[in-house]
Amino acid sequence: MNAQHTNQWKGYEKIAFRFFFIYFLVQAVPFDWGYYKQVFAINWAHLKYGDIFQLAHYMPQFISGAQSFAGWGMVAAIAAIGAIIWTVVDSNRTVTYNNLYYWIRAIVRYRLAIGVIAYGFIKVFPLQSPYPSLSNLNTNYGDFTRWKLFSISLGIVPGYESFLGLVEVVAGLLLLYRKTASVGAVVILLFTGNVFMSNIAYEGGEVVYSLYLIVLALFVLSWDLQRIVTLLVLQKPTTPNRFRPVFTAKWQVYARFGLKVFAVFFFVLLYSFKTATGYKHDPYQFPVTKGLPKTAGIYNVSYFRINADTIAYSRFDPVRWQDVVFEEWNTISIRSNRPVHIDSNNVERINAADADKTYELEGAIGRHYYSYTVDTVNQLLTLQNKNKFYKDEQLQLHYTRPNDSTIQLYGVNENRDSVFATVQRINKKYLLKEVERAGRSKSLKL
Amino acid sequence: MSLVQDTYIETAPPATPVNGNGKTQAASTTTPVASVWTSTQKILFRIAFIFFISIAIPNSAEWYKLFLHIDWTNLHYRDLYDIARFGSGINLFGNKLFGSTLLGYANWIITLILATAGGFIWTWIVNRRKTARAEYNLLYYWLRVVVRYRAGIGIIGFGFTKLLPVQMPYPSWGVLNTNVGDMTAQKLYWLSIGIVPWYQIFAGVVEVAAGSLLFFRRTTTIGSILLFGALGDIVYVNFAYDGGVHVYSSYFVLLAAFLLVQDVPKIYNLLILERNTVPVNFYPVFNAKWQRFARVGLKAATIFIFLVVLFYLQLVNFLYDPYKQPSVAGIKQLRGNYAVTEFRINNKSIAYNPLDTVRWQEATFEKWSSLTFRINKPTALDLSNGGGDPQRDINRTFELTGVGGGQRVFHYYADTVNNVLYLEDKYKDIPDRRNRAAGVGGDGGTDQNLNSDRNKKKEAKTTKQKDTADKFIPKEAWKNIGNEVAMIDHRAASTRRDREFAEAPKNEKRNRMLLHYETTDGSRVILTGVNENKDSIYVVLDRINRPYALSESSLQAGKY
Repeated sequence: MNAQHTNQWKGYEKIAFRFFFIYFLVQAVPFDWGYYKQVFAINWAHLKYGDIFQLAHYMPQFISGAQSFAGWGMVAAIAAIGAIIWTVVDSNRTVTYNNLYYWIRAIVRYRLAIGVIAYGFIKVFPLQSPYPSLSNLNTNYGDFTRWKLFSISLGIVPGYESFLGLVEVVAGLLLLYRKTASVGAVVILLFTGNVFMSNIAYEGGEVVYSLYLIVLALFVLSWDLQRIVTLLVLQKPTTPNRFRPVFTAKWQVYARFGLKVFAVFFFVLLYSFKTATGYKHDPYQFPVTKGLPKTAGIYNVSYFRINADTIAYSRFDPVRWQDVVFEEWNTISIRSNRPVHIDSNNVERINAADADKTYELEGAIGRHYYSYTVDTVNQLLTLQNKNKFYKDEQLQLHYTRPNDSTIQLYGVNENRDSVFATVQRINKKYLLKEVERAGRSKSLKL
Repeated sequence: MSLVQDTYIETAPPATPVNGNGKTQAASTTTPVASVWTSTQKILFRIAFIFFISIAIPNSAEWYKLFLHIDWTNLHYRDLYDIARFGSGINLFGNKLFGSTLLGYANWIITLILATAGGFIWTWIVNRRKTARAEYNLLYYWLRVVVRYRAGIGIIGFGFTKLLPVQMPYPSWGVLNTNVGDMTAQKLYWLSIGIVPWYQIFAGVVEVAAGSLLFFRRTTTIGSILLFGALGDIVYVNFAYDGGVHVYSSYFVLLAAFLLVQDVPKIYNLLILERNTVPVNFYPVFNAKWQRFARVGLKAATIFIFLVVLFYLQLVNFLYDPYKQPSVAGIKQLRGNYAVTEFRINNKSIAYNPLDTVRWQEATFEKWSSLTFRINKPTALDLSNGGGDPQRDINRTFELTGVGGGQRVFHYYADTVNNVLYLEDKYKDIPDRRNRAAGVGGDGGTDQNLNSDRNKKKEAKTTKQKDTADKFIPKEAWKNIGNEVAMIDHRAASTRRDREFAEAPKNEKRNRMLLHYETTDGSRVILTGVNENKDSIYVVLDRINRPYALSESSLQAGKY
């Protein structure tokens, strides 16, 4: 693929080009109907950043289900058949593919730019890995999956997350311009190469997609690769790219300009605006509905009764609650020794509805998570287990608040047993936050 | 060696430009050999020369002392690591600017100021004596050689602790049982790498590869780009997580940037300006035989010591003596997580209550010689990285540094004949000084690591308090315990280890416990004895099956 835009392409170069042309065209341009169904399903009057993210997160998929490399094989098969037919039809009349090479690279450049910028802005505005919830802070390290720990580690440093996002965005922008595209591709190779390795190591769900982006970056770089090697490794005189696209008709100029403006407007400007406002008003990992006012915190369960049995403090009783967390939003999590069937989602899902925002419990055991609604008239909380494996679990709990730090909860639990619990706020100091404030150089007792 | 050859003076005839719109473009080329440098270039070079030479050589007597004392016949990986990692820059006038270390960067600025002064003096002298040269091509070449090898060796020393993943250890059970909010950000980051040893290896491969590429002229640019990218990220990580190694990682970014100065214009010219580009590189020609031998010999020696020998030593460290976790195996039948079923103190039983401030809440015997337990009572914390090079297990503190939540970690010597554990708190008021060779920007630990007056006074006070430490373990018991220095695999033995054990302080002030243990198969363990407050305790531990969501790695350091 390193033809230096000479006036003569060798036979095998042309055959290889035909293959790669079709391969990357199919990989980069959405031809499948499912994609356009998605486009029409969007509520354009109320466009959300999640919609744009979904459109940007495209990879052709012939088999439904999780992304796999099998799809690539099918694209390669299509490209191989196409290349054969093309070669036969062409019967060597075409001398060079300089023009087509330029255009397929331009398509791949834009495809790749849109892909990395989509991930970039949800980090620039640290949406992707939010600061861990109170429940997550109060969960044992070993009770998380690798993928969740990876996200938590990033979530505690929003500034660093923004920086990483900025690298992706800048690399993406460099791709939009022919002369800087190779530099952008190198940055993406270093960055997304790391993302790919992380997905493998942390058992993330984007192994295929991140490698897809890497292959696109390699294709973009291949345009200049020979030149770069000649200059930097072989240290010999090097001729630059001399190819410019030819426009014979006015409409071509307009079409090019229009597409370019559209891509930049939609996937960069509009998307950055949407993620910025989304960060303020509509983050996607945690629900936005407020919880019971002035309850946020962790509570010790000082008294617990089920039916007629009072159960003393126990770490190992399968029923007794150990502590309860009220989040700022309408989630309550209860730590007990009741096992948790883990929701091990490890792919990025940008959900708009609160009920679908399950980041807080994904990849975590040790606690059960409930979303709740408040009936302030009857002082009644209706708790719904958020985990997809416990869909049928509902608790109806009346609440009273004898004082600021105490809440009494009584009602029926998921097994229709009556429960009564007194929970008392723990004035918990988190080492994570104490050190963030004071630094590590002071001595600290905690 | 006085001859300078311009390898690529001859340019290939420019290829006929192919142009989409049929217009030909004038081919422009960069000028070949710069035989005359402008006076600005020369002044800048003189400053850069003094600056980079200053930051490429060790500046502390400590390093030279360590270097001279290395026993080359019985090496420890840390011997070579210490050679590779040293403090540098001009520190004759201290490391503070206007009373501030500027996060540790003051040394760079001081060095730059002095280098600038030196550069101007140099210029003045050569101008006055009329010996000013037309160019510094040869000297520039050698300056690059120094920087390339400094950066290469440095990053390889750093990278190997990741390539054989020991820099970020896999969390101990005690840490796995600790809430995420009860750890420092630094700890959480280190752990996030520790849980994926294969990823750590990848990071190590990147660093070692970047360093190795710097040993060769043709691959220097690629190595520099890799080094710049990888370490640039690490600088940011260190600022974000308060990792403490920001200065040392910035150091490599600076060196890589210097090495790229020569190439960036070329890349810009070729890719952005789309012009013909002729790389010009001055490579000295070695005429004399001894020069050629010296060059090949030095290069081969560097590669042998820092790639081959260091790999072997680091492998041994990974297999038998991972430097951040204790290396002596713990008692096999005790290992595991335990529920504290019964807890009596001075014959008074305390029921479990998460708010109680005396009772043990849970306990763990690690794979190695540590007992971990949790008490809901604030305790002084060690917030350092838990790194450095301690040889004795008691001083290997990664399992407690940056970890709160009431976690206590005690090291034990086990008299397995009489079933007695001699336990010592791994926390110490004044941690030992670590990374002595590294100087400024070394460990990133606390102020307490430093030899400040306050600490010296504190230390003097503590040693005065004649502790019963040396009588803590009776002679007869030592016979059953054995000698710790020899309790790791013999392949991991080293002079460094022997020396440190020989010099180990005797009267350290630490909390101590003496516990008798009783168990049949480890499912129930009964501990009786005296705790750190001289209270008698009776603890019944029942082993629990504690499933973790975190999947273990196929790679595990150490032999237990």
